[in-house]
Formats: sequence, structure tokens, C-alpha cells
Amino acid sequence: MNGFFGTDGADVMATWVAAGMTLIVLGGMFGERRAFGWTQHLFAGLLTGFLALVAVTEVLVPWLLAPLVADPGGRPELWLALALVGSAAGVPWLPRPVTAVPLSIAIGALAAFALVGAVVGTLLPQLVVTAPVPGDTGLATGIGIAAAVVTALVLLSFLHGGPRGRGIGIAVSVGRWLLLAGIGGWLGYLLFSRLILLVDRIGFLLFEWLGVGR
Amino acid sequence: MSKRALLHRGAPLVLVALLAVAILLPLDDVLRLESGDETVSARWSDALDGLPEESGILVAFDADLGTYAEIRPTVRVLLADLLDRGGQLAFVSLTPEGRALAVAELGRLARADVNPRRLADFGFLPGAEAALVQLTREFPEPIDDTAFGRGIAEGGFDRVDAILVVGGNDLGPRSWVEQVAPRVDDVPILAVAPTVLLPELIPYTATGQLEALVATPRDGAAYRASVDLENGQRLVPDEGPSVAALVVGILAAVLLLAQSLAGPLLRPRGAESAR
Repeated sequence: MNGFFGTDGADVMATWVAAGMTLIVLGGMFGERRAFGWTQHLFAGLLTGFLALVAVTEVLVPWLLAPLVADPGGRPELWLALALVGSAAGVPWLPRPVTAVPLSIAIGALAAFALVGAVVGTLLPQLVVTAPVPGDTGLATGIGIAAAVVTALVLLSFLHGGPRGRGIGIAVSVGRWLLLAGIGGWLGYLLFSRLILLVDRIGFLLFEWLGVGR
Repeated sequence: MSKRALLHRGAPLVLVALLAVAILLPLDDVLRLESGDETVSARWSDALDGLPEESGILVAFDADLGTYAEIRPTVRVLLADLLDRGGQLAFVSLTPEGRALAVAELGRLARADVNPRRLADFGFLPGAEAALVQLTREFPEPIDDTAFGRGIAEGGFDRVDAILVVGGNDLGPRSWVEQVAPRVDDVPILAVAPTVLLPELIPYTATGQLEALVATPRDGAAYRASVDLENGQRLVPDEGPSVAALVVGILAAVLLLAQSLAGPLLRPRGAESAR
């Protein structure tokens, strides 16, 4: 039982709609591509609509428009934010230099926060923990060194072009295989996640739609 | 339709039928999902036991639709466990999918008559990592006006005793560790995440940046088995995935892998060029 639906009329209708969509999506596995494609469009549209709804009701109105209406001169930075929203919304009509501004700010801020966070929150603490220090057991030292070697080899695998010797070439090749092994392991985990999703959907059809008792 | 095409279309149907039969088989007592290793559940017990009375928990709900089915049973037991312990839950989401699922879970808790004064909803925050940084400086106003929500909005992370990150593919525990942990003092981060995030999250448990983590169905089942819910039992409609169906699915995946590996070896020599 996923517990999302109750027993009143709207919930029963939601269960039937969800069951129908699930059957159509599963039908994609059996070759029914047209209806499957239609559900994909429906899902993308619903998600976009939901995002727009959330953006308007939970962000733009309470954080931008309501404060501006209440006190137009109180927070001048909100007028700048309004201008950025306007230039983002006017992409089809405004000149590119104008519409590129909000996008550039968004991407730049994202990259800056992500990079600094990765260094401060991940790289440095992990380096501190994995760096061999006097007093470590042999196993801990070995794990630390192995982690450093694997990291270096995988970083080397991103070398493209440029002159390099035979040793570097071998290291790049080994790093690439290590990277592939990591991606393979990750795909295994992904398969397991998707298998559970499939089992969950079939369980939904059996228990909540067809009402088959467990 | 050729025999090959029939096989291609029929195989998924057979798999779905097998999974359905496996789900209906009463094998839960025979096949057990929970891990025998109690380290994870002990770590959770320690983390939750260390919380004060009526603790304020910030639930960062950013699960995604593709993986939520995997962590849903564990998340629900965890929420029920926290409420059973007298905790108060403040929800916030930084992804639209997470917000949709948070709304659904809040609706479910409301239908189960959870005291609304013990819940707060801070809605959706746009801006991903930047929003996390902003959150460490200032909380937005809660959507529902409760004393608990107002307290967090005024006191910020000083009023938060722990952060529970319900992770998904887009923005998960790693972002909270990277952006929030360095900026707030002594607020433990607990995380429930799908298996696909396990490789990137395991190192954070080693460093202690994540106080507790459930990131596999087996660990989730072990944690669920270790919890003795009282009032919270009504909040847990899930029993977790059918283990028999998971075994069938994994066997099918292994068979497919073996077939794809063995296919070129078993194909008669010269068949490729003849084709």
C-alpha cells in the first residue's frame, strides 16, 4: 500500500488514473509506443505545470510581488529581482544580451557554490580522513594509499590529447577502466532502484487497484 | 510477427507476470530482506536517542519519483519513529519533485490525524545550493502558521536539533553536507537515500559528516525491524517491497547479463559475416 490515496471519490478516481497511466507505461515494454509517448508528454507537462504553480504561489508571490506591493520603496533589491524575472520570462522577445543576464547569474552562482562546497565539504574532510598518519594500522594506511592512487588514476583518465609518455598512457588507460568499473557498479545500483520501482508499481496495481489481498 | 519479435515482446510480459506471482506468494517469513549487520540500525538508534525531548527536526524532503518507492517504507517508519519520540517535523524542499512528494506525505500525515502543531511546512525554496546557503542565514516564513514553524523561522538552525535529508537524484545529502554543515554548528545530519547514491554517501559516514545513513533496502529493512512503534504504527501503511519479487527480478537481470555475455561465444562461427 503506498498510502497516498484515501477512500473518497476523488481518491478512487486518482487510483484509477494512476493505474491507467501505469498500464500504459508498462505497455511501452510490450511495444505500445504511441500511448507510452503520450504519457511521457503528459508527465513532462504535469511536472512543468507543477513547477510553474510552485514558482508562482510559493516563490514569486510571497517573496517578490507581495513585499513589493506592501512597501514598494522598502527593498530596492526586489526591483532588480523583478527585472531579472522579467528578462528571463521575455526570452522569445528580448535581445539575447538582456536575456542572458539572469541565466548567467544562475549558472555562475550554481557553479561557485557547488565548487566551493565540494572543496570545503567533501575534498578537504575526505583528504584529512584518508591521509595516512603515524599510528594508523597497516590496513588503514593501505586503504588511504589505495584511495589516493585510484583518485589520481581516475583524474588522469580525463587527460585528452597532448603529448604523453608510455607510463602516463598506461595510467590513463588504467584510470579509464577504473572509471568504467565505478560506472558499472553505479548502474548495478540503479538497476536495483528501478527493479524496486517496477515491483512497487505491480504491487500498486494488484493491491490498490484490483484489491487483491496480501 | 516473427518468432524473434514475439520473444522480444513476450519476455517482458512473462517477467511482469512472474513478478506479480512472486508479490502474491506468502514468502515474507522465508525470505528476509533485512541485513544481519546491525551497525546501521544501531547508529540510527544512537542518533535518535541523542535527540532532546520535543526535538525540532528539519526534514529536507528532496526525494525523486524514480527512486522514492525504494526509500518510502523507511522514510515513513522514520517519520513515525520521530513523532513517537515527541519530535516536531519541519518540511522543506529544494526540488519540485521533492516538493510534490512532500505535499503528498504531509497530506497523508494530516489524514492520519497527526497533531498539526507538531508539523511545519516551509514549502519550496528555489536556488539549489544557493538556497541552502541562504537557509543557513535566514529561514522563510512557514506556510502554515504554527508556533513550531514560527520558532524555526525566528531562531533558524539554533532551533533545529537535527536535519533529516530524504535524498533523491537531484539534490541530496551531499549538498547538505557541503553547503549547510560547514555553516551551522553541531546540527547532526541524518540521511535516507536510494541505493544509487550509496557510493557517494558512504565516505561521509566514515568522516562523521553524516551521523546516520540508510542507503540500501537491506539496511532500511534492518532499521524498520529494529523500531518498536506505538502510536506511530498507524502512520506506516507500507510493508516494504516483496523480497520474492526482488529475487525474481535480480535473477532475470543476471540471466539477461549472462545471455548477453555468452551470446557472442555461443553464436556459430561465421554467423556474423553471413548476417
